[in-house]
Amino acid sequence: MKRKTTLGVTALGAVLALGLSACGGGTATSPSQSGAAAPAGGGAKAEFNAALTQVYNPSDKKGGIIKLANAGDWDSLDPGDTYYGYSWNFIRLYGRSLVMFKPAPGKESTELIPDLAESLGVPSDNAKTWTYKLKQGVKFEDGTPITSKDVKYAVERSFDKEVFPDGYTYFNDTLNWPKDYKGAYKSKDADTDSAIETPDDQTIVFHLKQPYSGFDYFAQLPATIPVPKAKDTGAKYKEHVISSGPYKFDKNEIGKGFNLVRNDQWDAATDPNRKALPDGYEVTTNVNADDIDNRLLSGDLHVDLAGTGAQPATLGRVLTDPNLKATTDNPTITRLWYTSINGNVKPLDNLDCRKAVEYAADKVAYQTAYGGEFSGGQIATSLLPPGIPGHKDINPYPAGADNHGDAAKAKEALTACGQPNGFETNISYRAERPKEKATAEALQQSLGKVGIKLTLKPFPQADYFALYAGKPGYAKENKLGLAVNGWGADWPDGYGFLQQMVDSRVIRETGGSSNISVRDPEVDKLLDQASLETDVAKREPIWGQIDQKVMDDAFILPGIWAKSLLIRGKGVTNVYVSDAFGMYDYLNMGLQ
Amino acid sequence: MTSPLDVSGAELQAMPEAVLEGTQSKAIEGRSLGQIAWTRLKRDKVALTGAGVVIFLILVAIFAPLIVSWLGHPPNDFNQDLISSETLAPKDGTGISGDHLFGVEPVNGRDIFSRVVYGARISLLIAFLATLLSVCIGTVLGIVAGYFGGWVDSLISKAMDIFLAFPLLVFAIALAGVVPDTAFGLSGDALRVSLLVFIIGFFNWPYIGRIMRGQTLSLREREFVDAARSLGARGPYIIFREMLPNLMAPILIYSTLLIPTNILFEAALSFLGVGVRPPTATWGGMLSDAVRFYTIPHFMFFPGMAIFITVLAFNLFGDGLRDALDPRAR
Amino acid sequence: MVTYIIRRLIWGVVMLAIVSMITFAIFFLVPRLAGATSESLAARYVGRTATAEQVKIAAERLGFNDPLIVQYGRFAKGIVVGADYSYGPTTEHCPAPCLGYSFLSRLPVWPDLIGRLPVTISLALGAAVLWLIAGVATGVVSALRRGSVFDRAAMGIALAGVSLPIFFTGIVSLVLFSYGRPLAITAPGGSFTPFFVNPAQWAYSLILPWITLAFLYAAGYARLTRSGMLETMNEDYIRTARAKGLTERVVVFKHGLRGALTPILTIFGLDLGLLMGGAVLTESTFSLPGIGKYAIDAITNQDLPKVMGVVLVAAFFVVLANLVVDLLYAVVDPRVRLA
Repeated sequence: MKRKTTLGVTALGAVLALGLSACGGGTATSPSQSGAAAPAGGGAKAEFNAALTQVYNPSDKKGGIIKLANAGDWDSLDPGDTYYGYSWNFIRLYGRSLVMFKPAPGKESTELIPDLAESLGVPSDNAKTWTYKLKQGVKFEDGTPITSKDVKYAVERSFDKEVFPDGYTYFNDTLNWPKDYKGAYKSKDADTDSAIETPDDQTIVFHLKQPYSGFDYFAQLPATIPVPKAKDTGAKYKEHVISSGPYKFDKNEIGKGFNLVRNDQWDAATDPNRKALPDGYEVTTNVNADDIDNRLLSGDLHVDLAGTGAQPATLGRVLTDPNLKATTDNPTITRLWYTSINGNVKPLDNLDCRKAVEYAADKVAYQTAYGGEFSGGQIATSLLPPGIPGHKDINPYPAGADNHGDAAKAKEALTACGQPNGFETNISYRAERPKEKATAEALQQSLGKVGIKLTLKPFPQADYFALYAGKPGYAKENKLGLAVNGWGADWPDGYGFLQQMVDSRVIRETGGSSNISVRDPEVDKLLDQASLETDVAKREPIWGQIDQKVMDDAFILPGIWAKSLLIRGKGVTNVYVSDAFGMYDYLNMGLQ
Repeated sequence: MTSPLDVSGAELQAMPEAVLEGTQSKAIEGRSLGQIAWTRLKRDKVALTGAGVVIFLILVAIFAPLIVSWLGHPPNDFNQDLISSETLAPKDGTGISGDHLFGVEPVNGRDIFSRVVYGARISLLIAFLATLLSVCIGTVLGIVAGYFGGWVDSLISKAMDIFLAFPLLVFAIALAGVVPDTAFGLSGDALRVSLLVFIIGFFNWPYIGRIMRGQTLSLREREFVDAARSLGARGPYIIFREMLPNLMAPILIYSTLLIPTNILFEAALSFLGVGVRPPTATWGGMLSDAVRFYTIPHFMFFPGMAIFITVLAFNLFGDGLRDALDPRAR
Repeated sequence: MVTYIIRRLIWGVVMLAIVSMITFAIFFLVPRLAGATSESLAARYVGRTATAEQVKIAAERLGFNDPLIVQYGRFAKGIVVGADYSYGPTTEHCPAPCLGYSFLSRLPVWPDLIGRLPVTISLALGAAVLWLIAGVATGVVSALRRGSVFDRAAMGIALAGVSLPIFFTGIVSLVLFSYGRPLAITAPGGSFTPFFVNPAQWAYSLILPWITLAFLYAAGYARLTRSGMLETMNEDYIRTARAKGLTERVVVFKHGLRGALTPILTIFGLDLGLLMGGAVLTESTFSLPGIGKYAIDAITNQDLPKVMGVVLVAAFFVVLANLVVDLLYAVVDPRVRLA
């Protein structure tokens, strides 16, 4: 949930990319090959959505410094700590994880290919054990060879959430750690072979508590990027991450920016996926977001790092000018902006009262609050975004003919709930997010029309889940009936999208979970069933079933499936949208 | 020693010295002063204009619901049909029409005219109450310090020094940010307004306090106070019956001049997102929304001008009042 | 004189100590009144997925269960002698003045804060030079030509100037003059270049905030200078000077201006001191990464160690400015020393 953007697949991309993926073929295809498959004349034309499914401006020209700017700041540059989508995208320039998403446009990018490993994971023991063999001759920036022990150490250190609070907990939760294990720092001498074994310097074996068929998705997480124990400085490691990729840190001022220069220890022979075209990267953080747009349009800047798209002030300028519109792309992302309906708060414990909320909500106002058709997204009628396998078009609560809400149906539901005149409750949102504020205001308006009176409760973003909306006791006591929320898939797959969002077992009394409203044992059962199912054809329909069940429960009011309006930097080569990240792929960009 | 905002900081500063000198050398002549001042004020067209605008604004604030029902729309109601779902801007650029006098906001199409009118309520209410609070605390403590002197004076003076050493705005935002939504038996707008009144009022009292202390110090040595004392009058009597009437002029001047500062303070807090909660309209809050849409200038123009005109009107009137009550201070 | 300076220095330190105590008490008490417990405060330090037990241990380790006075003592000790923190393989020593550890960035507050200082100082000093020159010059000319067209126009603009909030003039100037706009005169926001790296770029990136900030202050200073000048020019010693047959230029600049400027310099010192502690509104309007922006970011994230740090640094500048102004007065005016 901390991730600003998501990894994902686009519906449109899925259709258009069919031709391309056929060309892509086997494993480890570099984008230059995909680029070669693009239309004659050197790639896509300069038009709206040109880089959505093809490589725009393909080139192998080396040199130049790519300039990137970030309106916010990294959660962390440390591979063991980062949880932002753009960071997972960018980190591949200075780190190599066991496997990676294929650097290719559109749908093809959701394919996993080996990176540090020689091949994808080899499952055994009914997918409870996963083995990877590392490539020979891969070195850290100081020339030390990378061994499986460095990967093991990297995963072990990421276990310590006191030192690395931003990261995910997939490895913590699924690997068979010894009892009372506290991570590489606090349990220095613990024998962790029950979780990760390194029989030799090139082999690493992961042992899971339960079979999981999608472990390769875990193996692409930045936490498998090797970290040399001798150079690890804990929380301060982010100030100088030791590179295993084609670029390394030169100067790094946390909160201001950093630059990357070529890593002379990186050997292209071990790495068919990275082109390493520019001579370096210059990244500025905490830059005014409107300035980023202006500089992108003027050519002073190459990439808007956050990858969340143009600012509202820029929309009017870009969308009304055909020449400027031709320099943009509009991908759909595997992210749902939604509102949690908390069944712990009366009278929303009653299904019909929750249904009244579903019917009354003005979906168009929801969409506009998030930025409209292009910059906001597509009106969502259920949880699963169209790009996630298993998605079915369902619309259990039609919001009237024009999507402005169905007051008549809402009234009916209210009567069934025993509150014919409506009721009062609160809606929480993150104070720093103007779009969430606009959403809360929009819901206050549309729900008010059927008599559901909402009071707005802004809370600071940093503590939204830990202390307020995400803390069950607090939410109940303070009657936070609705909570503006959002979730993006950690990777484009039903598990990666749904698990953190609807599994009631992730809800903790101490707070902090992103799921703050879905409590249905049947949903939990379906999730378990799906993660044990190794047959993809049988697994995918289960995601659709879960979607339907949660909608029937009316624990979630779906708002929109996010889209973003990305601006292509001037003079940048190899520009394409990676569906895996839902933004431009930063790995193989170059300069003209 | 400086006013809370990093704007117009110097304005309030100037007065202590100026007025001190003015009153030290020229006696304030009890009752007739009011008449003299009124004669002077009547001749000051600029100040009268300011006063007229102030009265107009107060009426607007009081009759906001009436005005809006006549000329506008409910301030929180959406007019989504006027908004482009692509660019989020009003379809015709501003939405200004006979129906929406100042146009509509981007994204939700709320009527800017009505929101500006309702914004006046919050702005003036908070500014007046906060000023009242500052003036009360400042006057009482200032007089006490000046009248009693000694350790009382040095204690209060040191307290004022410490208050003035606080980075007020930072502190005010931090405080307004951590207070929960329900506290002290209040909630919603009532709580936020009280909180803002408290924060703004409480941190501003030392300015008034210093002035009052100085005035009291000079009054204490005057003949009529000596006379009262020699007739057996005691502290409270002297303070309330002899000194307070003589302090009314500076109190009035500084109250009038503190109101615009407080309007700016409230707008700043709302601008930084710690003011009254949305969707309640405030001028500062509208401006902070408008920053995201700076390519749609009419959105920032109206709330910005509302702040400007209000503050200017109070400043004009305050200046005129000071000139009238105390012509040498000019 | 020496004893006076020492006395003032001691009082300055005492004031800072009291400010820190009040700030600490308020930020200790208010979140707790708001329903936070030591556990919920500690939860921020252990990540989102910690168990109740881990949170409890962390609360104990961070000392959140200790009484207010003990916690303050630890904080104060950190400032004087530094403190040790354990985030990673080794225990980190946070050298004095250690203002604590930010739970969000996992970095000590002090170096972070100091890194922002050049931005704020550049902003404040640059604007100060502009407004002092513009404000005083306008005020003097207005006073000398009292009632003229210039006087009326200047005072009208000045009155408008003191009635405008910077977050309005700031946005308007962004709309008109910022990067990417038709009348652009400035570099993109947020891209501060240190003076010693490239002075031209430094000025280019700050020109708009300087002018905007200086305009508001200049308006106030023009009004002050004008009234100060009018007052001094009526004084007896000015009449004496004129009677001595001095030229008008000498009378105005050597006698008149000097008398009028003394109170202005006092205010100038204090204004500057306050700005050094973070021009919150200016920096957030122009997205300048200075102390003020740092303060806002810290507050929105309720990162209390950072908030404490900002408040203390800002208070330090105010106290320092007060001290300097008082000492200057003591030098100029021997009577003050006796007070």
